Amino acid sequence: MINTFDGVYLDHNATTPVDPSLFEHVPSWMSQFGNPSSIHQASRGPRTLIREARAHLAASLNVSPLELVFNSGASEGNNTIIKAIWDRRGKERPEFLCSAVEHPSAMKAMQAIQKKGATVHWIPVNKNGELDLKFVEQHLSAKTALISVMSANNETGTLFPVANLVEMAKNVGALVHSDCVQMFGKHQLDLKKLGVDYATFSGHKFYSLKGAGFMYAKKTAPLENLIDGGAQERFRRGGTENTLGIAAMGHMAQKMAAMNLNAKLVELGQMRDQMEARLVAEIPELHITAQGAPRLTNTSHMLIAGIDAETLLINLDLDGFFVSTGAACSSGNPEPSPVLLAMGFTRSEAQTSLRVSLGWSTKAADLEKFVQRLKEIVSRLRQMKKDLDNVTV
Amino acid sequence: MSQSNMRAKKRVLVAMSGGVDSSVAAALLVDQGYEVIGATMQVWDYSQCDIEEGNGTCCSSLDVDDARSVADKIKIPFYVINCESKFKESVIDPFVADYMKGQTPLPCVNCNTYLKFDHLIHKMRELDCDYLATGHYAQIQTENGKSFIATSVDDWKDQTYFLFTTNSEIIPKLLFPIGHLQKPDVRKIAEEKGLIVAKKKDSQGICFVGNQGYGNFIESQVGKKALDEMRGLFRRYPNGEVMGEHKGIHHYTYGQSKGFGLDHHEKMFVIKVDADTKTVWLGDESYLFGHDLTLRDMKLMDQLDEEQIYNVKIRYQHKGAPAKIKKDGNGFKVSFVDKQRAITPGQAAVIYKDKKLIGGGWIVV
Repeated sequence: MINTFDGVYLDHNATTPVDPSLFEHVPSWMSQFGNPSSIHQASRGPRTLIREARAHLAASLNVSPLELVFNSGASEGNNTIIKAIWDRRGKERPEFLCSAVEHPSAMKAMQAIQKKGATVHWIPVNKNGELDLKFVEQHLSAKTALISVMSANNETGTLFPVANLVEMAKNVGALVHSDCVQMFGKHQLDLKKLGVDYATFSGHKFYSLKGAGFMYAKKTAPLENLIDGGAQERFRRGGTENTLGIAAMGHMAQKMAAMNLNAKLVELGQMRDQMEARLVAEIPELHITAQGAPRLTNTSHMLIAGIDAETLLINLDLDGFFVSTGAACSSGNPEPSPVLLAMGFTRSEAQTSLRVSLGWSTKAADLEKFVQRLKEIVSRLRQMKKDLDNVTV
Repeated sequence: MSQSNMRAKKRVLVAMSGGVDSSVAAALLVDQGYEVIGATMQVWDYSQCDIEEGNGTCCSSLDVDDARSVADKIKIPFYVINCESKFKESVIDPFVADYMKGQTPLPCVNCNTYLKFDHLIHKMRELDCDYLATGHYAQIQTENGKSFIATSVDDWKDQTYFLFTTNSEIIPKLLFPIGHLQKPDVRKIAEEKGLIVAKKKDSQGICFVGNQGYGNFIESQVGKKALDEMRGLFRRYPNGEVMGEHKGIHHYTYGQSKGFGLDHHEKMFVIKVDADTKTVWLGDESYLFGHDLTLRDMKLMDQLDEEQIYNVKIRYQHKGAPAKIKKDGNGFKVSFVDKQRAITPGQAAVIYKDKKLIGGGWIVV
């Protein structure tokens, strides 16, 4: 039984809905069942879909099609790149720089190579979520193999100065990887201009299907496959291609090129800013996180004093508003967000966090309803707490 | 600004352990027309456990998966509520401390007191629910407009023994949807509704101890050194004759007759465990029988009549025995009409008037 829900979806950093245009295309792609690696003609259809998708994605990111490797998504991409560079460069360059607020897939891959002997310098952030570039300067040396810093943070939406890191890395011959999972469809992105050696993506974060993604590896950058297998992706990733997922990503790249994405992003930013202004005005002791830093226009992250995020989230869910306390991957985990702790918030502050992430289909009226409901729930929970404190005293 | 008055349906938070009882409880509430919200308390960090380990105990992560599957099947929202630190502080730590004092603790009561009927009651209010439901074999009944807890229809499964600390004020907020059923009927309902837990075995023992056994669990909590200090002598009761060395008082409970590793042919029983001297007293079974016991931290849901003869249970599987109860200094004294076997410190004595739960306390002597 498929669960359908009726509610306001405001969790686009966790995943995006499948774009309505894909509902028409996917069924026709499904008839292209052939194995793209087969010799016979049944391979032609799927191979064409993959080739076209690669071309559209590469064009929209301003890179060469051969520099893209299809895989299952950014978690795989992050693991592939970090572990490959340790294998290929670890002997001469055993040091890595990684932000303290990366996605767990990058963090844990770093911890894995740490166990094998790598030294990882975790780049701190300030309370606004901004990266400490001085720290990078101090720790960058001829021993540095790789700097891995996401382009936009999934929890707070903070944008990181990856182009600056590329400049700094050049001087010492270090490579730069950026997890761009929150960028595509949420921000303008030109990989050539950005200058990174590697970037990682997941289709389901830009209105495509789950289970497919890709990584960008510059022609000159070393790479090793994480998954041994056939000759797929020029030996850079074994396993029969996820034709549907890949075709969907290509379609979305094409759609984004045709639509006025920038206007959409500006519009989201205006809605987000209006929502934040109302929240701050109407809910006492509500703090918008990273508001002073450059941010994705779709993301709003806040701390609401004295409100347990888990309880708030459940209340909102029961009322049909789908939001998050932070990263979806950590939900159910009692530990407060490492991102917020790295930003210098206390554990109890971090347990009051709420993330609202807008998408292309978000309506201003939905945000109105959300603000109203949030206000009511917060006031009810605060009143309960007050009553309880009075009883205890 | 509660919306509960505006809602067409009453909203219930149901504690789901992933077992058949609470699963059926949730399903019955849906049938009865409530708006049902399922919740499992995450009480223990299972990431360190062997995946097989939790099977068949009441709160392992596989059980969380089962609870979630049932919730999905009956189409109710379901949440995992983190209670790890609260569980450690109010259930695990006292459990370990009791063992170190030579007592036989009853952690399920603390779990009900501090987790289900405190933490979850609080959650119930925070989520704007009208009731909290559990899969306990117990019933809520009313008398002159006042709610009380009564034993379940299934005598064998009755779990009111674990509920004696329940605050009277919250009783009207509780629902026990399976208390009027026999266990086989509960399984039948689970099967009819196609719940995957229909054939799951009942939880046995203490959920967080698992297959490793008490000794190993306690050792994992306090370390080997602290346990070495629990070693001492077996002495014959009452003459004090030294009979050998034992491996730590936490291994023994009152009435136990095996696992001493002694070379004696006579049948011996643990008569008493003395935590101060680390002595385990062994003796003839007749010494295990006593008339009286003292209770501390008595919780009463009703007036106590010192002339009345009540039915008092001194362990979960005890049928109960007639006794009078009197205030005695800071505690209460329970005097049984007939002698009772193995009155065990750390266990609870729970008081009933017919089927009505009156209260209970913790056995000290």
